[in-house]
Amino acid sequence: MIYVYAATIAIVAGAGIYMILAQNIVRIILGVALLAASANLLIFLSGRLGSVTPPIIRQDAEVLGSYAANPLPQALVLTAIVIGFALTAYAVALAVKGYKSLGTMDTSQMHDAEDLGSPFAAKSAPKQG
Amino acid sequence: MFSNTLDSSAIASWMPGEAIPSLLVIAFLGAAFSFLVLPRLGKSAGPVAALLPAGLFAAFMTYVPVMAYGEGVPTILQTVQWVPSLGINFDVRLDGFSLLFALMITGIGSLVVLYAGSYFAEKPADDRGRFLSYILMFMAAMLGTVLSDNVIVMFVFWEMTSLLSFLLIGFNSTSIEARKAALQSLVITAGGGLALFGGLLIMGMEAGTFSLLEITSNPGLVTDSTWFGVIAALILIGAFTKSAQFPFHFWLPNAMQAPTPASAYLHSATMVKLGIFLLARFDPILSASPTVIMIMVAVGLTTMLVAALMALRADGLKAILAYSTVASLGLLVTLIGLQGPGSSIGIAGFILAHSLYKAALFFCAGIVIHATGATRVRDLGALFGLLPLTAIAAILASLSMAGLPPFVGFIAKEYVFEAKLDSSFAAIVTFVAVLVNSVLVAIAGIFALRPFFGKATASTQKPKHGETIGMTTGPVVLAALGVFFGLFADIPQYFIVGPAAVALQGAPFYVSFELWHGITPMLGLSALVVLIGGLLVWKWTPIHEAMLRLSFIDRFSFEKGYDAIFGGLLSLAQSTTRTIQNGQMRTYVAVTIAVVTGALAYAVLAGETFAGAAGLTLPPLAADEIRPYLLIVCTLIALGGLVAAISRSMVVSLVGVGLSGYGIALVFLKNGAPDLALTQFLVETLLVVIVSAVLVKMPAIADGLRSYSKFDLRTGDALLSTVFAGALFVVLLSIAAKPFNPTVTEYYAVTSLSEAFGRNVVNVILVDFRALDTLGEIAVVAFAAIAAWAVLTGGNPTSKTAKAGVATNRAVPSLIFETTARMFFFLMLIVSVWVLFRGHNEPGGGFIGGLIASAGFAVLALALGVDFARRRLLLHPVAWMGIGLTLAILSGVPGAIINESFLTHQWVSLNLGVTSLKLGTTYLFDIGVYLTVIGGVLAFLIRVQQQNSGGEDTTTAADDATKSHISTQGASA
Repeated sequence: MIYVYAATIAIVAGAGIYMILAQNIVRIILGVALLAASANLLIFLSGRLGSVTPPIIRQDAEVLGSYAANPLPQALVLTAIVIGFALTAYAVALAVKGYKSLGTMDTSQMHDAEDLGSPFAAKSAPKQG
Repeated sequence: MFSNTLDSSAIASWMPGEAIPSLLVIAFLGAAFSFLVLPRLGKSAGPVAALLPAGLFAAFMTYVPVMAYGEGVPTILQTVQWVPSLGINFDVRLDGFSLLFALMITGIGSLVVLYAGSYFAEKPADDRGRFLSYILMFMAAMLGTVLSDNVIVMFVFWEMTSLLSFLLIGFNSTSIEARKAALQSLVITAGGGLALFGGLLIMGMEAGTFSLLEITSNPGLVTDSTWFGVIAALILIGAFTKSAQFPFHFWLPNAMQAPTPASAYLHSATMVKLGIFLLARFDPILSASPTVIMIMVAVGLTTMLVAALMALRADGLKAILAYSTVASLGLLVTLIGLQGPGSSIGIAGFILAHSLYKAALFFCAGIVIHATGATRVRDLGALFGLLPLTAIAAILASLSMAGLPPFVGFIAKEYVFEAKLDSSFAAIVTFVAVLVNSVLVAIAGIFALRPFFGKATASTQKPKHGETIGMTTGPVVLAALGVFFGLFADIPQYFIVGPAAVALQGAPFYVSFELWHGITPMLGLSALVVLIGGLLVWKWTPIHEAMLRLSFIDRFSFEKGYDAIFGGLLSLAQSTTRTIQNGQMRTYVAVTIAVVTGALAYAVLAGETFAGAAGLTLPPLAADEIRPYLLIVCTLIALGGLVAAISRSMVVSLVGVGLSGYGIALVFLKNGAPDLALTQFLVETLLVVIVSAVLVKMPAIADGLRSYSKFDLRTGDALLSTVFAGALFVVLLSIAAKPFNPTVTEYYAVTSLSEAFGRNVVNVILVDFRALDTLGEIAVVAFAAIAAWAVLTGGNPTSKTAKAGVATNRAVPSLIFETTARMFFFLMLIVSVWVLFRGHNEPGGGFIGGLIASAGFAVLALALGVDFARRRLLLHPVAWMGIGLTLAILSGVPGAIINESFLTHQWVSLNLGVTSLKLGTTYLFDIGVYLTVIGGVLAFLIRVQQQNSGGEDTTTAADDATKSHISTQGASA
C-alpha cells in the first residue's frame, strides 16, 4: 500500500504546486490547501502505517500495546491540520481584502508597490552619490 | 597593569613609562569631549583645540632624551590587560621609530588644528567644531596605531583612521565629488584593511602571539610557516592601499576633495605614512623573502614613475602636491625593500623631512586657495605682495623638497641616494630615483615660483583676504624647522632620526646624518637632479601641455578599473533585481519551487550515486499489500487534486480540493486515527464554507488566466510540478524503506496512563506531553484570526447598523432549514462539549470539540444569518479566543508552582462515595483549546461572510440565485 500512498501524496502535492504557480489568488490559496493536506498525509505516513486500531489504551491495560497505531504523528498532524486551516483562512481574508482594494485576483495585476518606482530611478538625482 | 621596561634606566627621572597609556586615553577623551565643547567656542575654537595636541607633543618630547641615540635600542613596553582570554592585550610600545611618528602626529597636529581654526573662520561654528573634533579624533587614532604593540589593537586604530579619513574627505558633504572621493578612499583603504586583518590574524595564529615585538624579534615564527606567502601578500595589500601605492594610488589625489587642513595632516604628513610604518615594522619578517623584497621595490618604483608622470599632467595646486606625495611614498616603499642600515637612515630622515616640507606646502596651498578662490596653477600669480610670509615659507619648504643644501630635505635625499647606490638593484633604482626626484624638484620650483612671482591673473586681482596669524604660523614654523634641522643636523641625528633608524634596524649602529660629507657620488646625483629639475621648471608649460595631449595614459588609469568594477557591481545588482525581483509573484514562487525541486531531485540522484553508503533503498514492490477500499479512496484523492489543478472553474477546483481532503480523512480513519479523521472532516467542511462564501463575491474564472480554454493548462508549470511530484515520490519511498525508530512512541505508550492519566494517547500528547507546543499552536490560530479580523475591518458595517441585516444576511431563507438548524445547532453544541470531555480517554478533545461547535455556528449562520449566529456566540469571537488562551495558560500555573515546570498537569481525586472522579488541569487546558478554536474559526467565518453580505447589492439573493451565480461563472469557462 506504501506505493499507492506515496503516489497519492506526490500527485496531490504536485497538483498543489501547479495551482500555486497560477496567477489567480484563489487558485493559489487552494493550491496551498492541497499542499498542506499532502504534507499532513506525508507526516502521517512517515510514522508508518499498518495497524488499524486507534492508539487508545484498553480498559484492561496499563500501557498502549504494539497492536495500536502510532500516536505520535497523529498528534503532530492534528495540530498541523488546524494550523493549516488558520493559514488558509487568513490567506482568504487577505485575498478578499486585496480584491476589495485592488479589484483583481490576478497577481500579475497587483503592482502597487512596483508603481512606487524603482529604487534605482533615484540614482540620477543629485542627492545620491 | 604592569610595567615591563627594557633598557631604559633613565626613565624614572623623566616621565614614567606608565604614563603612555594614559596619554592615549587623554587623547581619546579629549577628542570625544571636543565634540561637545568646540562647536560652542566660536572663533577661539582653533587655539583652544590646539592645546590638546600641543600638550601631548610636550609630553612626548619628554621621552626624547630617554630614546636619544646612544647605547642599545631603548624601548618602553606597557601592558594593559584587555581580553586576556583571547591573548589580546592593550600593549603600548614606544621606541625611536614610534616616537618619531608620535612627535609628527602631535606636533603637526597642533599646527593643523591652529590652521584649521582660521581656515574655517568664516564657516558656521558647528562645522568648524565638527572638523576640529574629527582632526583631534584622528590624531588619537593615529597615536593608537603607532603606539600599539598588539597587532589586533593596532588594526582597530588603523581602521579608525580610515573611517576618519572618510569623514574628513567627505566633509563638504554637499559636493558629489567629495562624497565620491570619500567613498573611494574608504573602499580602497578599508578593503585593504580587511586584507591586512586577515594577514594579521593568520600571522598571530601561526606565531602563537599577537605581540608585534615578539613576532618581529623571532621572525622564524612566521617565516617558517606554510602560510608565510599568504601573510606577506595580505600585509602588503594593506600597506599598499593605505600608502596609495600603485595600482591603488588614485584614491590619494582624489582625496584632495578634503578641506586643505585635512589634506595637509592626513594625506601627506601622517596617515598615508601608516603603510610605510607597517612595512617598516614588519620588515624583519618581510625581508626574509627575496620575492617580497622584489615586490616592494617594483611597486615602489612603479608608483614613483606613475606619480611623477601624473604630476606633470596635473592642473590643480593640491593635485600636484598629492602626486608628489604619492611619489615620495613610492620612494619610501622602495627604501624599505632595500636592506641595510643606510636605508634605515634614509627612511627615518625622509619621513621627517617629507612631513615637514609637505605639510608646509599644503598649508601654503591652502592659504593661496583660501585667499584667491582659485585652485589651478595657471590661475595663480603675483601673490608675493599679498602673502609675503606664505611665499617665504613656500620657498623654504620647496627648497627642502628639491633637496638643496642646507635643508633637511637635502640630507635625507643624500642618504636615500646612498641607500640606492648601495643596493643590489643599484642601476635601475638610481635611474628611477634621479628621474622622479627631478620631477619633484620641478614641482617644488613651480610651487615656489608660479603663484607668488608669476603673471597676475584674473582670480588673483581681487583676493579675498591677506594673511592671518593662525594660518601662517604652521607653514612658517615647519619651513623654519626644515632649515634648522639641516643646519644643525646633530639634533635630528641624536634625538629623532638616529633613534628611529636604530629602532628600525633593531640593533645599534653608527648613524651619520650630516649636511656635508665630502664629494661623493650622491652629491653628483643631487647636482644632476637639480639640473634636470631646473630644465623642467623652465619648460614646465610646454611639457605640461604635451603631457596633457597624451590622452592614451587615461586609458591605463586604474581609477577607470575601479569605476568599472563599482559600476559593474551596481548594474549587476540592478539587473538581478530586475530579473528576479521583477514584481511578478509568479516568478518568485516559480524560482522558489524550482530551487526546492532541484534540491529534492539532487537528493534523489545523489542517493542513487552514493548507494554504497546509506544509499537510496526502496521498499519491495512485490510485498506491497494492497487494500482495495483504500486504493479506491487514494484514487479519488489523487483525482480530486488533479481536477482542482486543471479545471478553469473555481467551483470545480474547490470541489476537487474538498474531495481530496475528505479522501485523506478516510485514509486517516482507516489507519487507526479517528481523531485525525474527525478533525480533517470538520476542517475541510469549514474551509469549503469559507472559500465558497468568498467565491460568491468574486469572478470565479478568467481573472489571471492566460487563455480561455476549458482547462487551465500551463506546460512549463506542469513540467515543474511533475518533476517535484516525481522527486517527492522517490523520497517518500526511501523514507518508508528506512528502519523505524519507535523510541519516542514507546515512551508515550508506556507513560500515557501511568503519568498523565489518559487513555487516548493522541490527546495526552497534545494536552500534556507537548502542551507547550499546543499552546503555541492555538496561539498561532488566535493570532491569524485576529489578523484576519483586522484585515477585513471596514469592509462594511452590517452587523450593528442595519436592522434589516437579520434578513439580508440569511443565505437560505427557508422555514424548514431554520427550524432544523436551531435544533441542529444545540445538538452540535452538546456533542462538542461531550467530545471535549471524553477526549482524554476516547477519541475527541478540544480541537475536535471546538471544530464541531464551530460547524454548528456555521450552520446557524447559513440558516439564520451571520448576525444571528454572532448573537448566539454571546461574546466577541476575539474575546472567546482570549478566554481560551488565558485558561490554557492558567492550567499550566499549578504545575509551575508545584513542580516548577510550566504546563506539567496536576491531578486531584474527588471521592464521590460511589465512584471517584479524577480531575486534572488537562481539562482546563483542553477547554482553553476548545474556546480558542471556536473563537478563531468563527472570527474567520463571521468576517468573511460579513464582507460578502455587505458589498452585495442584490441582498435578497436566494439559495438558487447564489448557486446559479456560482455556476454561471463556472460555466462561462
